[in-house]
Amino acid sequence: MAVTRARTRRALTLLAVGAAGVVGLAGCTVGGSSANTDSSVLSVAASAAVTTWDPVRSFSTEALYLGNVYEPLLWKNAEGAAEEFTPAIAESWEVSDDGLTWTFDIREGATFHDGEPVDAEAVAASIEAAKDHAGASFIWAPLETIEATDDSTVVMHLAYSAPMDLVAASTYGAWIVSPKALEASAGDEQYFEVGIDAGTGPYTVKSYSPGEKVVLEAYDDHWNEEALPHYDIIDIAITPDAVTAQQMLTAGEVDLATSLPLENIDTVASDLGSEVRTANSPFNFVAFFNTTRPPLDDPKVRQALSYAVPYEDIIEVGGAGYGTQAHGPVPKGIFPYSEDVPQYSQDLDTAKTLLAEAGHADGFTLNLTYASENSAEARFVPLIKDAFAKIGVTVEVRAELFNQQWENAKADPATAQDIFVVYYWPTYSDAGSDNLYSLFHSSEAPFFNLSYWSNAEYDALVDEAGTLTGSDRDAAQAKYEEAMNLLVDQAPGIFLYDAQAVSIVPTGLEVADFNENYPFTTFFAPIRPAN
Amino acid sequence: MLRFLASRLGTAVLVLFVLTLVVFVLSRVIPGDPAVVYAGPKAPPEELARISEKLGFDQPLFVQYFTYLGGLVTGDWGNSLATKQPVLDELATRLPATLELLFAALLIAVVFGIVLGVVAAKRPGKALDGAIRFLAIGGVSMPAFWLGLLLQVLFVGRLGWLPATGQFSTEVEYVSPIAHVTGFPLFDSVITGNWVAYGDGLAHLILPALTLAAYPLGLIARMTRASMLEVLGQDYVFTASAFGLRSGIIRWKLALKNALPPTMTIIGLAAAYTLTGTFFVEVVFNWPGIGQFAVNAMLAVDYPAIMAITLLGAAGYLIANLVVDLIQARLDPRVRLS
Repeated sequence: MAVTRARTRRALTLLAVGAAGVVGLAGCTVGGSSANTDSSVLSVAASAAVTTWDPVRSFSTEALYLGNVYEPLLWKNAEGAAEEFTPAIAESWEVSDDGLTWTFDIREGATFHDGEPVDAEAVAASIEAAKDHAGASFIWAPLETIEATDDSTVVMHLAYSAPMDLVAASTYGAWIVSPKALEASAGDEQYFEVGIDAGTGPYTVKSYSPGEKVVLEAYDDHWNEEALPHYDIIDIAITPDAVTAQQMLTAGEVDLATSLPLENIDTVASDLGSEVRTANSPFNFVAFFNTTRPPLDDPKVRQALSYAVPYEDIIEVGGAGYGTQAHGPVPKGIFPYSEDVPQYSQDLDTAKTLLAEAGHADGFTLNLTYASENSAEARFVPLIKDAFAKIGVTVEVRAELFNQQWENAKADPATAQDIFVVYYWPTYSDAGSDNLYSLFHSSEAPFFNLSYWSNAEYDALVDEAGTLTGSDRDAAQAKYEEAMNLLVDQAPGIFLYDAQAVSIVPTGLEVADFNENYPFTTFFAPIRPAN
Repeated sequence: MLRFLASRLGTAVLVLFVLTLVVFVLSRVIPGDPAVVYAGPKAPPEELARISEKLGFDQPLFVQYFTYLGGLVTGDWGNSLATKQPVLDELATRLPATLELLFAALLIAVVFGIVLGVVAAKRPGKALDGAIRFLAIGGVSMPAFWLGLLLQVLFVGRLGWLPATGQFSTEVEYVSPIAHVTGFPLFDSVITGNWVAYGDGLAHLILPALTLAAYPLGLIARMTRASMLEVLGQDYVFTASAFGLRSGIIRWKLALKNALPPTMTIIGLAAAYTLTGTFFVEVVFNWPGIGQFAVNAMLAVDYPAIMAITLLGAAGYLIANLVVDLIQARLDPRVRLS
């Protein structure tokens, strides 16, 4: 592994200091980690696997790395920030009154890691590639044409109004990629997979060992001098097991761990003398009812079951208390979330009354499936079973790998499960066009609508709201709220809880706040040693 | 001898062939779309269809199987669905880490197992024998992942003597990077005189190797003890003793040689079993070997990777058995190779 001379010297100093630290600390504490010294290497344990390095096709957990290596036109700021967006590759942008024409001014002086300049042509080519074959290409569906009118101007013409600012800030399918790499990958689909990157971000991929390690190196020519990284090297051990990550963090082998077992968070934090930080996340738990057959085709039965669920206990057990009861399927902090959307709360008497009115006083039996790799679901599903038993409903529970659970659910609603527990998040920061549409808008073949629910009134509301989002967001919000009210009333699913993002910021580090718009990304550039 | 080898190899190939068929069919009949593994959980239907077509998942099962077999014999074992890299490359980069761990564990198990077994057989029923038997039963019955966590809590958490996870410290990679000679990092650091890396690697190896050694060590100690007791009760031992041979010589030279064959069998079986033990140990210690790759492959239902690991594991098992048979024939002339 080639390391430059200057870096080697710095690292040597670090090792000497580290060794002295270990000797000095022997017997009193473990964890004299490099975070406490003036180091240029930040070591991290992260659970995120890389399914692809192709920035166009990427649609999974590799966003952790890609978000440091690539940049979109705009970054969407976390809920509560003064500005909604931070300009990245675009310097400014404007939209026509009808929401159909979006003009982006491209920043001058930015370069791709492979040396190519960033201009309007490169941006248009990236977005065309994304529209053509991105994993999340559907986010560009409203886009009819995109043209570079001059070196620094890109104009998007839409078929119908849509929020292109949100789309351009998506965590999937919106990275701006070097035209040279796009061309190379067009002929060779494996082009990126060895860990090649062609972005503009503050870090570049230095090396990649599949399933094992990702090393990022600071990109010294990044356009934003104010945001230059504080660490030269980010050394990331891919650690799928959260308990192992915890061991590594507490033993001082890594400075930062991106996922820790929720139930141990408090212990780890007090061991390390560091704070626990929580933030909104886009992750949300829903339990779909199979609405195609009795007894769950009856809204009254679905309402009864919604009244039987112990929401607070589920958050306590499933999320170790880190969560809030959901207002419909839109996660807290993401458009068009609203506190005004009603919630059910546990009321077993009402539940029994409703069941009796629906002619099911003696109860019935349902089967429920959940994803076995999701430990939160494994913990809270028994609570649903117990609660339903109290109103005479027997639940048979089955754990399946998500992939299998989903495959079975899509195959044939008539023979599918009665209740399907899902952990969902929107692809970009518009849960109207994603959660509300994907999960509950009627569709011919089920994909994510696994309650198989079909309601013309709901469909109309969501369709209308979708076209309003680009031109009049307040009007869209109002329509979506109407749709959510209807959804909660008709209860095609149980709206369980919005999970919180929980992290431990080790002492000695300053870390930026979690941004729910980029839930899989840990931004490394702003991380620095605390003074 | 040659005929013996040829027939054993023939059987091995047949076993491996049947295994490919069984694992292939089993891994495809369980529900779950391999295209989803490839594209990520939220990929839209069109993308899944495109990938299915590209990777041939839309073909009938037997076509897929023969395509796979064809690749197998020509050295193309397919690409991992999760990492997109050729499976053979993936295994090749991880094999050295696993072999070093396996070798260290078996070395510990064989040396200490035999010594403890002989010592225990010296005065059966006494305190030392009891202690060794306790240790042996503990080693055999303690699940590896549990023992690994216990050792971590003790040696890393409480005492702070050893590193918890990984094969080398991050610093080593930037300060004393290991030259790639044979591909076995610990071995390479010795032959290139990279003592910083060697010391660091050795420290990282101790806990996972001990954890992995526990099971075969217990097994070997018990077997050695039992067969030593049997041998020590035989006439020639009394004769030797009557001729005034020192008891140490009788025990460690005469008796041990005759007590070893059954132990050898156990070592072979234990070696093969230990291979699966690496699955747990590598996950607990974040060891960058095949075991961890295997666990991830199974969780992700990564077919090509699962197939390759199964074949490799089976081949390892067959080879271990063959080697044991050969050694046994050497140690005990009564065993014929036929």
